[in-house]
Amino acid sequence: MIRAILHITLREWKRILTRPDHCLVLLVMPAFLFFFYAYIYEKQQAEDLPVAIWDEDHSPVSRQITFLLEQTPSIHITHAVSSQAELEQLMQSQQITGAVHFPKNLEKDIKSRHPVKVSIFTNAASLVPGKLIYKDATTVIVTAGSGVNLQKFMKTGMTEEKAMALIMPVSLTTYPLYNPTYNYQHYLVPGLITVALQMMIIMVAVLLLNKEWSEGTMDELRHMARNSAGNIIAGKTLAHLGVSWVNFVLITGIIFPFFALDHPGTTFHLFILFNFLALACIGIGLMISALAGDAMLALDVGLFYTSPAFVFSGFTFPRWGMPWYDQYYANLMPYTPFLDAFFKVYFMELPLRYAMPEVIKLLLFIGFTFFIAVFFLQLRLNKTVTHVIPLTAPGSENGGA
Amino acid sequence: MLFRLLLREVKMVAHDHSLLLTLLIAPLLYAFFYGSIYSYKTEEEVPIAVVDEDGSGLSQTLIRQIDNTQMVDVAAVTTLEKAKESMYYGHTQGFLYIEKGMEKKVLSLQQANMVLAVNAARFLPSSDVMGAITQVGLTVGAGVRLQYLQKQGMNTEASMQEVMPVTPDFRPMFNTRTDYGTFLLPGLLAMILQQTLLLGLAGGTAAEKQKQTFGAWMEMAGNNLSVALWGKGMFYFILFCCYAFFFLTVNFRVLHLQLLGNAWELALVTALFLLSLIPMGIFTGLLFRSQLLCTQLLAFSTYPIFLITGYTWPIAQLPEGLKFVSALLPITPFLGLYQGIVQQGAHITDRLPDLYHLCILWVFYTFICLLKMKYTAHKSPRPYAAV
Repeated sequence: MIRAILHITLREWKRILTRPDHCLVLLVMPAFLFFFYAYIYEKQQAEDLPVAIWDEDHSPVSRQITFLLEQTPSIHITHAVSSQAELEQLMQSQQITGAVHFPKNLEKDIKSRHPVKVSIFTNAASLVPGKLIYKDATTVIVTAGSGVNLQKFMKTGMTEEKAMALIMPVSLTTYPLYNPTYNYQHYLVPGLITVALQMMIIMVAVLLLNKEWSEGTMDELRHMARNSAGNIIAGKTLAHLGVSWVNFVLITGIIFPFFALDHPGTTFHLFILFNFLALACIGIGLMISALAGDAMLALDVGLFYTSPAFVFSGFTFPRWGMPWYDQYYANLMPYTPFLDAFFKVYFMELPLRYAMPEVIKLLLFIGFTFFIAVFFLQLRLNKTVTHVIPLTAPGSENGGA
Repeated sequence: MLFRLLLREVKMVAHDHSLLLTLLIAPLLYAFFYGSIYSYKTEEEVPIAVVDEDGSGLSQTLIRQIDNTQMVDVAAVTTLEKAKESMYYGHTQGFLYIEKGMEKKVLSLQQANMVLAVNAARFLPSSDVMGAITQVGLTVGAGVRLQYLQKQGMNTEASMQEVMPVTPDFRPMFNTRTDYGTFLLPGLLAMILQQTLLLGLAGGTAAEKQKQTFGAWMEMAGNNLSVALWGKGMFYFILFCCYAFFFLTVNFRVLHLQLLGNAWELALVTALFLLSLIPMGIFTGLLFRSQLLCTQLLAFSTYPIFLITGYTWPIAQLPEGLKFVSALLPITPFLGLYQGIVQQGAHITDRLPDLYHLCILWVFYTFICLLKMKYTAHKSPRPYAAV
């Protein structure tokens, strides 16, 4: 049996290397796509976004705050405007992403103890730049307000320490853990890479059985496997698992170190976790391939099933913010538990035991899909042996690359 | 002749279940399916744990105020170890640590400290939690100052004026709630429109080569390449104009999205976009000899294309090489125009460079598509050979 499985594995490797619909997707596309994703976020953070100043005060205070705004990472002052209409027009023509308004008598009001409001306008239709500008501008304005209060309290004879305690009675120290600089490359690229990889595995695995039927090579495979569906599935699975290891090496050995995305000490745990994902994806692909005789139909099903994985997994928008039915659907994809475990093992550098609930879910995927694939393939193998049906299948016209 | 080619295309799609799925079912299914994810528009109630070492009236008030915010849900008040474990298991997204003696310090005019640790591996929840808790901290600070000033003999009105001398007044424009759904959904619908059109059209064109019907297509067009291109493309143009109209009316309504600009301007821009996608799709399809391989490879284009259009990440922040690639995609100038008209109430005249860019891409893709068709026609067997 082991010999038969190994023969099938070798045969499958040959197929992977010679068929464009296997080779391009499993060996060429990953290298190109993974570099592409990492290259997009080479700058890591959005900086120097164009911002306008609407200064109706023209005072030393407004100039001082303007100077402080320019010193922040996200803000680069590019325009001076004199009305809200002008400001909106500049936003609509994409010349600015935000603006800060200093009202008339700003300095005078501060000195005469009248509260003033400094308005921060952002183009919230562009969410990422808008939020960055808001964060930096708010920090500057709150700091400026605190400075005014500090001076006032100290003028009353209060010590600096006490004045600070009044300005900020409860200071908040924040620790954004695991990505303290909110680096976009570190955040998005590992997720994009892993979601692309699961898609690649499934998009090829959906062709593994139906192509054999449609191209008339199943008979040869059946003989190698001694009419055992289990042997066929095991041999093919081993071959594709081996190829996924090549991609794992590409990710952790080349892409992550090259773009400084690696988390030392996590590779082994990640490898174990990655194997569960790869097996779950191969299992799903084989199950679809065993059930759908037409390769093109199987590919469409695979495409429909895998392409939403990234958004449903909760990577960018948390699952608890989705309606219940979407949360339910998210759980029908192996990428969802993998991502939760990936966060723990890779980003948070935790031991694998924290990812056990997700590993169990992935094991359930593996058990269920492989069972269905073996069961239906064996049924079909037995049927064709009993009735000696010619080894062709519908949909063969959509065949080979 | 154009009409005959259109009918031929209808027949071809009707006989190919993959094209039927991609062109007739996928656009509508994806639009509702993807759209529903963001139907609540924003996340709320991000779970965090609180470690209250102080256990005072002030710390209780603080926890209550944090819990009362829309963004944060205080899932547990617990010990430091349990709070960490809860974050490690993914049950909470961070924890707030309130030091012992906080109330005492505040009452004796000493600065107290709180520590907020958030799981920034997930951007959206962590930044929202930090924003909400910082705001509560500032409010509490203002409350303490107010009480202090009143104790100093200042009346309520005067002390209110003293508390916050300079306050930031946030005015998000074109998405007043700064929610994720309002930001992403219009772009997502445009992306679905593009990808289903490209997958269907390129897949169908690759099938022409695979089934050796390319010659028959050319012959029906009287060997006129432009007629062949637009005869085939007319079917997709009409179909996807209908989808665009459906998305902008039905899906926008279901998802509570607003069209702030002029609908006719949007129609014009969308038509231009579809006209530039059609030659691009046929050109792409002609690069393949197999429908399956074409569909397989194009499936991987969705995320890379979307990420370099400038919709989620500013084009100015892209590396130079990718700026060039981005400029070659019709969806880049289209999204500039579309986002302006739909979300910002802008006019085409506000974004003329994008309009010129889109027109140039239309001409460019038409030109290279015709060249490729000419080359393929030269290489392909005559229709009788296929029979």
